[in-house]
Amino acid sequence: MSMNVILAQTVVNGLMVGMIYVLMAIGFTMVFGIMRIVNFAHGEFYMVGAFLFAILYGSNEMQFAVSVFLAVGATALLGLVMEWVVFRRFRGNELNGMIASVGVALIIQNSALLMWGSSARTVPPVVSGVLSVGGIVFPWSRLVVIIGAIIAVVSLNLLVGRTRIGRAMRAVAQDAEIAQVQGIRVDVIFPAAFALGVSLAAFAGVLMAPVLSVSPFIGLAPTLKAFVIVVIGGLGSVPGAVVGGLLIGLIESFAGTFVSASLSEILQFLVVIAVVLLRPQGLLGRKEREA
Amino acid sequence: MKRSELIAVLAALVTCSGAAWAEDSVTIGVHASFSGAGAAFAEGMLAATEFAAEDVNKEGGLEVAGKRYKILFKQYDDRYRAADAVTAMDRLMIQDGIRFVVGPMGSAAAVATKDQTTSGKVITMTLAFTPRALGADAPFAYRPVITTGEFSDPQVAWLMKSTSAKQVVSLLPNDETGQQIGVANFNSYAKAGTKLQVEYFERERVDFVPILTRILMKADGLELGGNSPTTAGLILKQARELGYRGPVFVTGGDVSAEMLKVAGKDAAEGTYVHLPIDTGLPDTAAYVTRFKAKYGQNMNGFSPFFYAGLQMLFTAMKKAGTVDDTTVIAKTLDGLSDVPTTMGKAGWTGEQKYGIKHQIDLPFYVGQIKDGVVTKVATCDVNACK
Repeated sequence: MSMNVILAQTVVNGLMVGMIYVLMAIGFTMVFGIMRIVNFAHGEFYMVGAFLFAILYGSNEMQFAVSVFLAVGATALLGLVMEWVVFRRFRGNELNGMIASVGVALIIQNSALLMWGSSARTVPPVVSGVLSVGGIVFPWSRLVVIIGAIIAVVSLNLLVGRTRIGRAMRAVAQDAEIAQVQGIRVDVIFPAAFALGVSLAAFAGVLMAPVLSVSPFIGLAPTLKAFVIVVIGGLGSVPGAVVGGLLIGLIESFAGTFVSASLSEILQFLVVIAVVLLRPQGLLGRKEREA
Repeated sequence: MKRSELIAVLAALVTCSGAAWAEDSVTIGVHASFSGAGAAFAEGMLAATEFAAEDVNKEGGLEVAGKRYKILFKQYDDRYRAADAVTAMDRLMIQDGIRFVVGPMGSAAAVATKDQTTSGKVITMTLAFTPRALGADAPFAYRPVITTGEFSDPQVAWLMKSTSAKQVVSLLPNDETGQQIGVANFNSYAKAGTKLQVEYFERERVDFVPILTRILMKADGLELGGNSPTTAGLILKQARELGYRGPVFVTGGDVSAEMLKVAGKDAAEGTYVHLPIDTGLPDTAAYVTRFKAKYGQNMNGFSPFFYAGLQMLFTAMKKAGTVDDTTVIAKTLDGLSDVPTTMGKAGWTGEQKYGIKHQIDLPFYVGQIKDGVVTKVATCDVNACK
């Protein structure tokens, strides 16, 4: 394998992983941006989405599109319930909301453990085989992940930028009180934004289920990654989550390929520390206005 | 019936039931990682304890010095973390007063809790592969499973002879377990004339493609022994996705069932695995069937070893005539040999290697996955595989 091929392979690997991180981080940062809640249960919605997809598509052999729709839809419903039961009490209350989210994460994880057991499940590949171009190998299963993630990010961008509810979400994110004065129903926007955020996590889980495996414990790692990414990109910034996700994916890929796996973890946190020290609001985040 | 007669009848009933069912009990603690990537191992350990308790209790309890003891068990989750392992062991020993433990499961947990269990004279049956889990400084620690230290040399020698691999790469978690196995594997491969390159990763990692892209460039063999079943399956699946077609060896632990589920039949085809049990033995086969019937899933291969370990512990209790004095029980346990267990006749070995004879002595096997089924291809002892 020539150096050029390895370099290209490394970039592709980094983009594949980075796109999943982007999906995770966008949902995470949206919930923070609008509700001011650091949702550490975010990864558990990823796990629930993946599990539901595994049951529908893997065990019950339902159609792929139907399985995706039902898995994401059911997770969004779970998100609505969680928002109504737990998170609505902590809107704008960052510290208590964060602590509550850790509790919700533990409840969801252990409920999954009770319902579905600890054993890992596999999901049959949606597509199999590899696409080989000039010595670079693209597993089709991972290409599907990239394509799916791009579709999700573009759709979200259109939803937030071009629709009435998207504009309302942006208004609430900027100032919930002013938005309410303008006639925006914030009591509808908050749960809608939360459900949308967890839907993105569930969709990431659905995409990754056939590539990796599904167990009640798969939610923690994506949550930590999402947190790292939004700190780099800027809490509440969707473009920041995209940049941060791709950056972390590429760092992981390059460090893992050319140096060592352990160094890739160190490098990620060095980047986080550098960002926090030099640009506390994140790469694309805005400074909080002081009262 | 007069009131006094009624009381007499009730008292007689209570006495009779007391005679038929012992009031006294012995509680076995199961100290393992029930959450996290190693949960399949923990469930195997718990199942062994549950079966052992069920079997003894079915016979009316464990008869020791003329008294019958009901076997109870209680599980503790160490979440695969050394700090949590210490806390769980404290709860087990201090809060619940337990003196017999199936566990600790991981090497980090075994090392972290060794001083506690030694000073508390708690008999442990560990799954930890680290050589530091056993030793003269841990007279109450036993290992009822066969580890890399026992099977690595003969197994690797046989595999290298069978496949002619010359440059093998290994991926292992960057913790006590992984590092100990890495060193043991490196030495075993060196003895077999093969160079082993060991790459470490953080245990939470699930995407191995970047590492595999680099390490598989020059390798003609991939060693996955020492990983949890899920992780071994993920690495195998991702290596095959990257187009790797060389031989894969899993020389540590029994990961076959879970690994097959995660990697899939096609990716796992031809993989050589360490096979701790021979399902050709009737008692072992019956145990496997019992596990599947009760839990509805394939058994982790370590499970019957713990059942065998408990059979030896119960034998020692009976011979020692006590369920309280762990020093006497341990001394009796040390002297046991040719004890009939579900895995065949078992004894203890390891004096030369660990400075104490607390390592179970049983044969082991090399298997190969063919069409989704593990087939025995060699039978081994600590000297050689044939």
